[in-house]
Amino acid sequence: MRVSFKWLKELVPVDVAPEKLGEMLSMSGTKLESIHRPGNSIGDVVVAEVLAVKDHPKADNLTLVEVDSGDGTRSVVCGARNLAVGDRVPLAQVGARLGEATIAERRIRGEVSQGMLCSGAELGVSRDHSGILVLPSDLALGSDIVAALGLDDAVLEFEITPNRPDCMGIIGIAREVAALLGAKLRVPDAQVGEADVMAAQVEVEIVDPAGCPRYVARYIEGLAVAGSPAWLAARLMTAGVRPISNVVDATNYVLLETGHPLHAFDAARVTDGHIVVRRADQGEELVTLDGSKRSLDPDDLVIADPARPLGMAGVMGGEDSEVSGDTTAVILEAAYFDPPSIGRTSRRHVLRTEASARFERGADPDMPPYAAARALALMAELGGGRPSGAVVDAYPRPIERPRVTLRAERTSTLLGYEVDAASQARHLESIGVGVERAGARLEAGIPSWRPDLRIEEDLIEEVARLAGFDRLPATLPSGVNGGLEPAQALERHLRRTLSGTGMREAWTSPLSSQRDLDALGLGEDHPARKMVVLANPMLEDESSMRTTLLPGLLRAAAHNLAHHTGGVALFEMSRVYEPTGGLPREPLTLGAVWSGTRTPQTWRGPGTKWDFFSAKGVLEATFGAAGVEHAGWSPVSGMPLHPTRAANVSVGGHTAGTLGELHPDVCERFDVARGTVVAELALPALFASPLTRVKAAGLSRFPAVYIDLAVVVGEAIPAATVTLAIQQAGAPEATSVRLFDLYRGEQVTAGRKSLAYALELRSPEGTLTDDDAARVRDRIVDALSHEFGAELRA
Amino acid sequence: MTTGERLDDIEAALEGARSEGLRIIEAAADLGSLAEARTRALGRKAPLARARSGLGGITDPTDRKKLGQLANAVGDELEAALTSKRGGFERAELDARWERERVDVTLPGDAPPVGSLHPLTKTAWEIVDIFIGLGYRVAEGPEIELAKYNFEALNFPEHHPSLSPQETFYIEGHGDEVVLRTHTSPVQIRVMESQAPPVYVVIPGRTYRRDVMDATHLSAFFQLEGLAVDEGITMGDLKGSLGTFAREIFGRDLDVRLRPHYFPFTEPSAELDVQCFVCRGSGCRVCKGEGWIEVLGCGMVHPFLLEWVGYDAARYSGFAFGMGVERIAALAHGVTDIRSFYDNDVRFLAQFATGGGGP
Ligand SMILES: [Zn+2]
Repeated sequence: MRVSFKWLKELVPVDVAPEKLGEMLSMSGTKLESIHRPGNSIGDVVVAEVLAVKDHPKADNLTLVEVDSGDGTRSVVCGARNLAVGDRVPLAQVGARLGEATIAERRIRGEVSQGMLCSGAELGVSRDHSGILVLPSDLALGSDIVAALGLDDAVLEFEITPNRPDCMGIIGIAREVAALLGAKLRVPDAQVGEADVMAAQVEVEIVDPAGCPRYVARYIEGLAVAGSPAWLAARLMTAGVRPISNVVDATNYVLLETGHPLHAFDAARVTDGHIVVRRADQGEELVTLDGSKRSLDPDDLVIADPARPLGMAGVMGGEDSEVSGDTTAVILEAAYFDPPSIGRTSRRHVLRTEASARFERGADPDMPPYAAARALALMAELGGGRPSGAVVDAYPRPIERPRVTLRAERTSTLLGYEVDAASQARHLESIGVGVERAGARLEAGIPSWRPDLRIEEDLIEEVARLAGFDRLPATLPSGVNGGLEPAQALERHLRRTLSGTGMREAWTSPLSSQRDLDALGLGEDHPARKMVVLANPMLEDESSMRTTLLPGLLRAAAHNLAHHTGGVALFEMSRVYEPTGGLPREPLTLGAVWSGTRTPQTWRGPGTKWDFFSAKGVLEATFGAAGVEHAGWSPVSGMPLHPTRAANVSVGGHTAGTLGELHPDVCERFDVARGTVVAELALPALFASPLTRVKAAGLSRFPAVYIDLAVVVGEAIPAATVTLAIQQAGAPEATSVRLFDLYRGEQVTAGRKSLAYALELRSPEGTLTDDDAARVRDRIVDALSHEFGAELRA
Repeated sequence: MTTGERLDDIEAALEGARSEGLRIIEAAADLGSLAEARTRALGRKAPLARARSGLGGITDPTDRKKLGQLANAVGDELEAALTSKRGGFERAELDARWERERVDVTLPGDAPPVGSLHPLTKTAWEIVDIFIGLGYRVAEGPEIELAKYNFEALNFPEHHPSLSPQETFYIEGHGDEVVLRTHTSPVQIRVMESQAPPVYVVIPGRTYRRDVMDATHLSAFFQLEGLAVDEGITMGDLKGSLGTFAREIFGRDLDVRLRPHYFPFTEPSAELDVQCFVCRGSGCRVCKGEGWIEVLGCGMVHPFLLEWVGYDAARYSGFAFGMGVERIAALAHGVTDIRSFYDNDVRFLAQFATGGGGP
């Protein structure tokens, strides 16, 4: 909402600077976005008249314009083609200042240009760069443009919150200012000349009073549609509205002033002067002012005549009944429409207008008679029309003004400081709330322009903001036992553990599509193919909710590998989304990618690369941190993984996910190095046994015995199986079993492999003797020989 | 030979053993030859031992004692010479060893792989921890949410623009009943439905809006919400709590202010501004010349919500607040484009491997 400081001062005395006023409004809820002083950057631009327009002899896209600013004729080269002889235009004379630029006499393609003609954008009064700004014809030649257009003003731009439709008009802002400054609001008169010889020329029929509780129509004839005078054009431009004609500008002026949207119909186009307010019929069509042909919905409220729809009520008028240069009589509409109905139509047709924005937030139902009279008076003044004194005011459903009770002590209790009842009443009265006070009980009559005031808390907010939020004390409530739930603490612990292993945490987008799964090479019936789909995506690639973290992580890995690093290790802990009958499941998932260099070569030795086992080590460390004692690893094959270098991981007997090298085809599609390793694990599996507080175990006081054991077993026997057998057979003395060598070659039979283990044997009861150690060793060797046909390697 | 002559001979032999011994010891060139020198100077066949063997024939106790003392003195002297010589050799050997073992301490160390938490994770934890310190717990809820919880329960009017498919993602196959939550506020409702007051929770989580991506907008972003409902909660409590939070993040000596605003689910509603931590209020680019930086939206829980969840609105009151974690992180770390948080460029992420939180 743009507010001219000059205009504001006509409605309320202001004795502070614009900056101070903006600050005060910000701190009472009408936030100042910016202050713009259009006149500050303009100097020596004057009003001139176009005497002739000729083509530039050497450039098709330029014209030579002869202008007179009252002190002689000048020739200016101009790029726009919207000028006609007799137009008044802004002339930046030689030496004029426009923002940072100073205008000099110069030659353009051989022709001398003695100055420059300005567009609206160049003067900061509109966003229009395309043509020269054509000025109202009543401006005196040679007059300074800053004064002529009232640009020696401060334009304050405010953010208006959706609950305050009243502040979408300058009267509403002035009311706030009056309350803040303790000044009196001066609402302009709306006197219509009583030419009421004419009977009512308009009949209004409201078929749908729920959609249109009130409809005021007025009639004016004998109009001469023409351009608006300078003062009006200037006001509209300052507020960011393009002047069109005196009749239309009058309605827009009143809209800016009162915040109440009006509409002017060309009376000649309204059959029998008969206005019907109804819902659209199925299949009805209407060409709106913007030239769009719209198919109306039976829920759309329309203004019609007996023959056809004339406009979409409260949203946009129809092209057919628009005021044009030939219009001589106008039916003026000032109505109150049901806000939800306007909102639905506006959304349905994706059409937000100045009118719909106000009606859908709730206009002032008491405003139509006043706003109509203001506009009618302006039209009569500007267009020389004869208004009818008759007012058609169809108001089948009077809008009740609610009364709200405010208990003064409730205000103090909620705000946390004492505000006495009298001050509360005074604050409320300052914004037009009628207050009847009985002790600490305030009965508030809500003004028609404040649809947002409905309950006691709404009034408390008014008191609080007018008293100033700076009066609130700063206190702290008691709180409860603050802290994380065990699963939340574990989640943090895992993130820290993973970043401690040298991985970088990544955050990728949860929006995905089937294309990502195509890139992973997943089959049509892969469970990840069942995605939660958005009904209204913004991009095809972001049309579904992801079922895997891998595509995002692989893209991030590729980005890093392409740009600067020999290697990258990323993890993400985030949700994936699995459709169900009702709300989808959103399990927290750990995704990881390891690619390329793990540690670089240094003066100390060669570097290492990420591979299956370095990645597996990271997961094992993570499991350790999660308190998982036994994770199961079994071979798995299937996209997107390498057929023989991938494992299913199970925790507590349940599959938690997979770890594996990425299939070479997938590496290629995502542009990551071959041998890239990925993992994806459902975290609920790790969280199944939430980390409990560690209970420290006692340590054995007796020394350990260390023995090595190398066994030869068949190639097909997984190492983990052998290790487990050693742990079981060696229990309880074998407190640590570590595989330290794997050998295949000349010294063992083909098809067999040698596994060498380092064992730590220990007893809590005493020092183990060599005989004790030998017994444990024999036990283990027997078991291995029995289970796997293992032989001790010499 | 007289007794006197024998005494003189023995004494001379002892003196000779001394000088001979000292010469031998002195001649030793290293620890090995020093061991040999010891045998030659103090061994059983050494001059000293031979001279000592003559003492057995001395009968006069006084003489024997005197010569005995002399023999012992010579022995001690030779031992001392040996020890001193050995010490010299050992020191030299140690010095040589230290020299052999010298390293260039300026060579780079072995770098363990360094990882890092994502800056949004760190920022969210930092915020959460401030509220944990104020007595809050952490709650979470679904991102794919019932429209009823996302809008209706939060007092959004049915024609509110946020409900439109221009602004909110709807889920296919669920009509207008299921959305990608547009804020973490529906979790407020879920928490209150599941427990009686007092409620003190913070709610971090992913949220979604149909915004075109630019330097300050994302269609999927990270919000952090808070809710306190208890008997006697005041707007002063809101101001104190959120002021504590803002100062802890941006600077303990900064001013904060509440500015009236509007949200459907709070009444009164406000925005919290913190004094610009760059210019301290005089106006700069970071604060767009205002001297203040908008941090979050907040307000007193609208009675509509309390009634919706079945709380006694006459007995309980509360406040709620919500902020964009990307925005807080961007402000705190001087990041000008919040899309950087989702590029996952290691050069960017690595900057957050160091440094803690705090103002
Ligand atoms: Zn600043």
